[in-house]
Amino acid sequence: LADLLNLCTAQQLSFVHQFVSPLLKKDPFTSLPDELCLRILSFIDDPKVLARASQVSRRWRDLLSDDMTWKNLCVKHDYGRRLSEVYHHSLPMPAAQRPSANAVVLEDAANHSFPGAMGGIYTSSAMNLDVPAVKVRPRSYKSHFKQRYLVEAAWRSGGTSISKNITSDAGVVTSLHLTNKYIIVALDNAKIHVFDTKGTALKTLQGHVMGVWAMVPWDDVLVSGGCDRDVRVWDLNTGACDHVLRGHTSTVRCLKMCDENTAISGSRDTTLRVWDIKTGLCRNVLVGHQASVRCLEIKGDIVVSGSYDTTAKVWSISEGRCLQTLSGHFSQIYAIAFDGERIATGSLDTSVRIWNAKTGEALAILQGHTSLVGQLQMRGDTLVTGGSDGSVRVWSLEKFIPIHRLAAHDNSVTSLQFDDTRIVSGGSDGRVKVWDVKTGQLVRELIQPAEAVWRVAFEDEKCVAMALRQGRTFMEVWSFSPPEDIL
Amino acid sequence: MAESKQQMLHLATNDHAVIQVERQVAERSIVVKHMLEDIGDEAVGKEPIPLPNVNEAVLRKVLEWCDHHKNDPPSTGDDDNESRKKTTDIEEWDQKFMQVDQEMLFEIILAANYLDIKPLLDVGCKTVANMIKGKSPEEIRKTFNITNDFTPEEEEQIRRENEWAEDR
Repeated sequence: LADLLNLCTAQQLSFVHQFVSPLLKKDPFTSLPDELCLRILSFIDDPKVLARASQVSRRWRDLLSDDMTWKNLCVKHDYGRRLSEVYHHSLPMPAAQRPSANAVVLEDAANHSFPGAMGGIYTSSAMNLDVPAVKVRPRSYKSHFKQRYLVEAAWRSGGTSISKNITSDAGVVTSLHLTNKYIIVALDNAKIHVFDTKGTALKTLQGHVMGVWAMVPWDDVLVSGGCDRDVRVWDLNTGACDHVLRGHTSTVRCLKMCDENTAISGSRDTTLRVWDIKTGLCRNVLVGHQASVRCLEIKGDIVVSGSYDTTAKVWSISEGRCLQTLSGHFSQIYAIAFDGERIATGSLDTSVRIWNAKTGEALAILQGHTSLVGQLQMRGDTLVTGGSDGSVRVWSLEKFIPIHRLAAHDNSVTSLQFDDTRIVSGGSDGRVKVWDVKTGQLVRELIQPAEAVWRVAFEDEKCVAMALRQGRTFMEVWSFSPPEDIL
Repeated sequence: MAESKQQMLHLATNDHAVIQVERQVAERSIVVKHMLEDIGDEAVGKEPIPLPNVNEAVLRKVLEWCDHHKNDPPSTGDDDNESRKKTTDIEEWDQKFMQVDQEMLFEIILAANYLDIKPLLDVGCKTVANMIKGKSPEEIRKTFNITNDFTPEEEEQIRRENEWAEDR
């Protein structure tokens, strides 16, 4: 062969070179065991790169169907949180008891739940307390990642929405709940509207004779109260009113449930009442506040209440007595959050105070708002507050310092909710804004601008806003779910 | 470092080269470290340690890395520590060190894996990962001489399956 090549002209050699050199080049990955290829891929955290890499060849496609790569990606993108919940939520399911890398069991409930959000939010946009129907669907990490990724992308710049006029007049929306089954809207015109989560009208609950100012759903039960001083227990399935609970002598201003049988209401008559909603009996009256009870929050056997008398009180539900009185605010308390240990209160005196629930000791005074603090939610070591000054503030509850100050709305912040990823705020300037909770950056505005936004509520893949537009009350329902067929 | 660590020893490659190296440098390889522990301190340095999966050129390159990093804190062996998470951060010296031809790069990775030198393995893997980033499937194939063994139908299907990750 050497002799033959020696006889060749330069041109012929060049041809041989062109012919031979590609044959000499080799794919270096062929010498690498899969384990090392996967290690290389584990250093890639952009799904786009991985998706492209899987199109290179059959081997690469097979490598990228390895679920560990996607599991790592879930962790890197913070999508892992829900995975760990999944096991917790779906424990009774045999498939979930031995979670393997390849078969993650995702329960719908896990997708829609916000642990921590329930305890913290003062507004009626608190998260659902529904006991979700158990529906298990096995999914790979890749599919889970893809789903989360697409949802996140839709929150940033996509999503679909429907807008719906729900009243013929400009009824004020006093309360809004988004559960995994229902959207429930209470109005100052005494009506409560029930929709499915897509926004299709299901029922109108009529019975209150004056404005409904507070309500709380639990599975298929709804408890509501308002200016007519009655607390009503509704069956959301049938639309029937099961009980009318009488006792308050003035407007019912706040309502929460501590279990499926027990609701607690706070009233302008200065008392809180503990109701057995199955029997319709008042179990206890918590007496002690000197003025209207404006807000309350429950964790376990403890209910905390904020009042216009400038104090907050810590009560034992089972004993029916006041354990602590938290004094310090100079003006009415409008908002309260409670995580079982710490209590946060927002007041007309523009400050937010943090208290130790056990000892009643004041832990911190957070100052910065220049007007009434009417919105607050606590989640882990993060507190988010919203005020009539239009600003939304993010605080660290570890260090009691401000993290972000968002110039959110031109006017009052009327509604506020956050989770691990985002803050959604609504304002009387008619706008709904989505913020990145970590960076404090504005992500987008969500709804068609309106005259005012009454209430906003969201969960993983949905957001509902109630707004006033052209003198009418509108509901805008946003969905960020990727279409089923691409998952 | 203790005086006893300055001990020299010999490593034998699969192409019959014997390389003299400081014990501390060689012990960046967990495999070598364990071998030395097994044979006991007295025997160290008497016989060359055989490394039948590495050739001279690659071993010299690997030892160059070990020498530069001989005073690094020992690797924890923990795959999930922080430094592994950040993909792009390869320190400058390592970046320069990895500017070798592709064949050598992959041989370094294999050797680091065989010798159990996790930090070097990670630098190698990160380097390759960075070569994959920002490339189309065709560009990746070109970079690594990978044969596209999909049928046109398969290729179209997998392209559609992966459309979701593209910018939207």
